[in-house]
Amino acid sequence: MMQQETAARPGKWKQILVSPRVKALLPLLGLLIIIAAFALMTDGQIISPRSIRLILSQVYPLMIACTGVFMVMTLGSLDFSQGSILGMASIVVSALSFWNIPLAILGGILTGAAIGLLNGFFHIKFRIPSFIVTICTMYLFRGLCAYLTTNAPVAATPAITALNQDWIKLLITGLVLLASYILFEYTRLGISLKATGAGEMAARYSGIRTDRLKLLSFVAAGAITGIAAFVNVVKVGSITSTAGNQFETNILIALVLGGLPISGGAKVRFSNILIGTLISLILNNGLVMLGLDTAMQQLIKGMIFLAVVALTIDRKSLKVIK
Amino acid sequence: MADMILAAEGVDKSFGITHAVNHVSITFAKGEIRGLIGENGSGKSTFCSMLCGIHTLDGGRFLLDGKELKIHNQVEANRAGISIIVQEMGTLSGLTVADNIFLGNEDRFTRYGIKNTAAMNREAQRLLDEYGFTHIKASLMIDNFNFEDRKLIEIVKATYFKPQVIVIDETTTALSQYGREELYKIMEATRADGRTVIFISHDLAEVLAHTDTISVLRDGELIDTVPSAGSTEDELKRLMVGRELGSRYYRTDYGPPAKGDVVLSVKGLSVPGQIRDISFDLYRGEILGFGGLSECGMHEVGKAVFGASFDRQGTVALADGTPIDSIPDAIRHSIAYASKDRDNESLIVNDSIRSNIVLPSIDDLAEGGLLKKKRMNRFAQEHAGQMSVKMTGIDQFVSDLSGGNKQKVVLARWLGKASDILVLDSPTRGIDVKVKADIYALMSELRKMGKAIIMISEEIQELLGMCDRIFIMKNGSVNAQFSRSPELNEEDIIAKML
Repeated sequence: MMQQETAARPGKWKQILVSPRVKALLPLLGLLIIIAAFALMTDGQIISPRSIRLILSQVYPLMIACTGVFMVMTLGSLDFSQGSILGMASIVVSALSFWNIPLAILGGILTGAAIGLLNGFFHIKFRIPSFIVTICTMYLFRGLCAYLTTNAPVAATPAITALNQDWIKLLITGLVLLASYILFEYTRLGISLKATGAGEMAARYSGIRTDRLKLLSFVAAGAITGIAAFVNVVKVGSITSTAGNQFETNILIALVLGGLPISGGAKVRFSNILIGTLISLILNNGLVMLGLDTAMQQLIKGMIFLAVVALTIDRKSLKVIK
Repeated sequence: MADMILAAEGVDKSFGITHAVNHVSITFAKGEIRGLIGENGSGKSTFCSMLCGIHTLDGGRFLLDGKELKIHNQVEANRAGISIIVQEMGTLSGLTVADNIFLGNEDRFTRYGIKNTAAMNREAQRLLDEYGFTHIKASLMIDNFNFEDRKLIEIVKATYFKPQVIVIDETTTALSQYGREELYKIMEATRADGRTVIFISHDLAEVLAHTDTISVLRDGELIDTVPSAGSTEDELKRLMVGRELGSRYYRTDYGPPAKGDVVLSVKGLSVPGQIRDISFDLYRGEILGFGGLSECGMHEVGKAVFGASFDRQGTVALADGTPIDSIPDAIRHSIAYASKDRDNESLIVNDSIRSNIVLPSIDDLAEGGLLKKKRMNRFAQEHAGQMSVKMTGIDQFVSDLSGGNKQKVVLARWLGKASDILVLDSPTRGIDVKVKADIYALMSELRKMGKAIIMISEEIQELLGMCDRIFIMKNGSVNAQFSRSPELNEEDIIAKML
């Protein structure tokens, strides 16, 4: 009897640790731990009002873009072209800002949507895995960005900096989040995305037009990053060839740190976006505050990312990243 | 008693709260074919998985020839003298037939680190010829062969090295009559050799005809081991279920077909390489059966009617002429489809029972364009309950369910959609007698309610037992039609299949 009881105990603990409810709370726990850890290491600097304001000022473009890529990743796909989309859309926004601002916003959205359409088209029509297609478009548009900014950075109208106010950026981010939250949780979009990510064939047999859904997701991810580009231009005022560099990896890391399974599917939660963006930015800023140089920061981020993926990956549903 | 080869002593296994195998002790004699039967979830497959090193034991032990087995995977099991032919596809794509047969044993043909492919192909071909499978060429890619041939190759792979114990887990469902006969021959040869076969099947007639003794499992416990000679299907069913099954299993009525209105009209349906020029009308309140050999095209007919075929010609239309050209069309117009490939096409196994039940009905559930969690939960709960799906809750993932329960989820989603036309492809494939009886009863009830059902099946008995009309297909077209009648028998139908 005694033997049996001691044998049962680790099993019980294991069951609690892997129970879906506990697993869903892990990202939030990670956020709290990371805040506490950096608060300790920086003597509370990271939670000072100044630092919080700094972090918030960086949050907007990343959180907006994550909202779009979130859909793509729910499908089990990846989008590496996001950085170049941000760069291209920022150039378009800057150029159009001399006419009027609404036109500039629209231009940014359409640019993003067009690149997203290209991604989706090649992914779906030619059945090329999304990460390959988007790595190709990443290089393509990164090159175009560099070409357009060869002689000088593309500057936006100086008047645009007047819009560089927290409430405006907060409002835009809030609207994007609210709209996608409603679409994801209260329309067929969310359940269809999750189902397609979990099993595309069966999703098709359940009446979901999976190809259309995939195309839509890539277009939406591009368009939403077009909005992020506007917020970016408002903040920086002029676009250089490095605009949006590594933005795609930051998005990917943020979403995965937020608990989004890299294989997408049914275990995706909307909260992954919020928690992930915050974890990722606090991590970035915390490492800067600790006075680590950039090489060291990248090394640490790489290790954390690898560890999180290794710990959270769902081996059962991960056949191949689509 | 004859010499004992294998003994299980208090073998035990749990998955979470499910006690899959509950302290089972059982012995197997040399030169015996032992049937192992039980409902879905009774622990047969788990028991054999532990024997073959696929699962670890929670308690107890296996003794082979008096020595305790300590194995951790199938290769080690093979070395110890135990092999298994699994229920699902056990061959690997992208390799040749010979590669598959000698997987893990390539060393035999390797000299100084270089594999002698020609010698391996020769040896594989020799084995295939010895088994009588001369139509299979060992040097070809495995992907050139159909499901049945791949199963035959797997049989060679699992038996050529003359293991002491061969486990055949639910393999015959994937085989045609020819393949089955070949398998029976191998089983008998193994017995004649003084070696042992453990044979798992849901087809009780087959188990009775081809085994010496039969062990019955129920809820993870060994109920009894009986000699096959002198036992009957009814006795076995009683042991499996633990109570008398109702006398009604199939339909018992043989009245004239209730000719209602036409609900679906199919004209000149073709899918290149699969089916050719199929036309029929489907009536209210009838069960229309499609039968034939596995590759005859009948499965594609179901897909084509549901709008799921990729390159379809011809028309599928409702009585009022509304065309059905895509899956969303079909679902919107109340057509349901349960695929033979349950895990890939019927169900999203890595998603919750709730999502699976709700998905086809999602547009009906929206209120003012918005979907409410509460409403979806209530809907899923109601229909899962109606089908009495055994689950911990609607949040449970479908991948955790047994075959019979999975099929119940499939039916629950289409009952929820209130479908008028149901296309059921192999609805009882790999499902135990109790759930099978439930499914037949449900079909009869739906038929009486005036629904129209297309049943596609490889089991002739169930076509005879359930259908008002039966179409037998051969090489992609309809070869014969039969009407329901007590005089109709299996031989008439088989004659038209071949």
